[in-house]
Amino acid sequence: MLNVRICVGTYCYITGGQELAKMKQNLPEEIKNKVEIIGSACLGCHENEGVAKPPYAKVGDVLLEECTEDKLLDEIYKQLGLER
Amino acid sequence: MLEKEKFFIEVGSYQNNKFNNIVCGDCVLLRKCVGENRNIVVLSDGLGSGVKANVLSTMTASMAMNFRVRHEPILRTIKAIMDTLPVDSVRNISYSTFTIVDVDSDGEAKIVEFDNPPLLLVRDNSIYKIDSNEIVIKREAEGEHQDERVIKISDLKLKKEDRLICFSDGVSQSGIGNIDMPFGWEDGINDFVKELIEKHPRISARELSMRIVKQAELNDILKPKDDTSCVVLYVREPRRLLICTGPPFSESKDKYLAEIVNLYKGKKIVCGGTTSQILSRELKREITVNIDDIAAGLPPSSQMEGIDLMTEGIITLGALSELLRKGMNNNVQGEGPAWEIYRMILDADIIDLVVGTKINVAHQDPSLPVELEIRRNVVKNIAMLLEEKFMKEVRLKFI
Repeated sequence: MLNVRICVGTYCYITGGQELAKMKQNLPEEIKNKVEIIGSACLGCHENEGVAKPPYAKVGDVLLEECTEDKLLDEIYKQLGLER
Repeated sequence: MLEKEKFFIEVGSYQNNKFNNIVCGDCVLLRKCVGENRNIVVLSDGLGSGVKANVLSTMTASMAMNFRVRHEPILRTIKAIMDTLPVDSVRNISYSTFTIVDVDSDGEAKIVEFDNPPLLLVRDNSIYKIDSNEIVIKREAEGEHQDERVIKISDLKLKKEDRLICFSDGVSQSGIGNIDMPFGWEDGINDFVKELIEKHPRISARELSMRIVKQAELNDILKPKDDTSCVVLYVREPRRLLICTGPPFSESKDKYLAEIVNLYKGKKIVCGGTTSQILSRELKREITVNIDDIAAGLPPSSQMEGIDLMTEGIITLGALSELLRKGMNNNVQGEGPAWEIYRMILDADIIDLVVGTKINVAHQDPSLPVELEIRRNVVKNIAMLLEEKFMKEVRLKFI
């Protein structure tokens, strides 16, 4: 099972995290059983770097900045070794 | 020296409009005078129903409240109200009733009643009518007749677990003409209240006032014949609620914050992603985000062992502040984290707000909506609403 953490902290939530959080309901059939979408209260990213690039999400150990549904799916497929 | 036992007075009210009316002709005002530790409740019933009654009762109640807050003598208050009320063009009288209850934190209650159904005192599961002095106030009216009003004044020492119940005549006269209560509910209220308190000895003022008004509605077969209002004051052991939001200004205080949360006796709410992370780290407890809970348009809530509710910070608090501003809503069935906090607040008496003042630099980005206000302002606003509108005791602590 691949863990996907989606940040729902304030900053991420209003910059697109809201849409990412909804992905749990509409994951493509072929990866539905291979991925677990988990929320995170805050990944703490905006403090680590000079310029924040929300929303953040984490696929396995890979941190995604300015994450979109597309970027997220790409990374998930890549880590599962599947063609998108 | 006498041992002074401080206690908390919970005030709850509920109102129903006359069938088919869009406004209520009764007016209930609640005020907590923070510096003096007094709770003042005013219930006024305007002549007739609808907008006209609403105007009369609102004016009477606000005058009574403001005179009372300033310790004006009661006679002056009543004369001023009588002089001010407009004369009804149909009935040619100026009229509205009122009840004023003024209780301090030692339980000394001063009660002034004018033409409302008598106030009930519930003590040790029995119902008492309160002894009172009657005062007649005369006023020269236009024309021949004299305007005479009889006011009842009483002083009372409340004890722990006492309840005071006051209601408009819409309650006592509900069900009038029904075969089992041809003259209205009247003394049936006593039995109803007694039975209810026997079943639920710790029923809150809010719940009790609601149950009384709902029963009055049933008596009128769901079509209330008059505006019905009920206010309950309940002297009880305070219920505590902690709301924690924001990371401490200095990281060295993180431990201190965790300690406050861990040792607090009462319900606990944590608002804020970073704050949650700090607690998770300090208390070594996992956070689980309820990611499916996004229907309410607010960031989802999370769970942590030992915390009753964990939510996102500033957006949720903003939504909460909006709910509080809208006021004592009859309907508290909304969904989402802000509503959950709202309901927990309604059930609490003493609310401790612990606010970390570290500024989240990211939130100051000018492209973000202005609703992302500085935490301190939002919390200050919430604290003010809770004290003045909801009569809660609020303790604010910045760390």
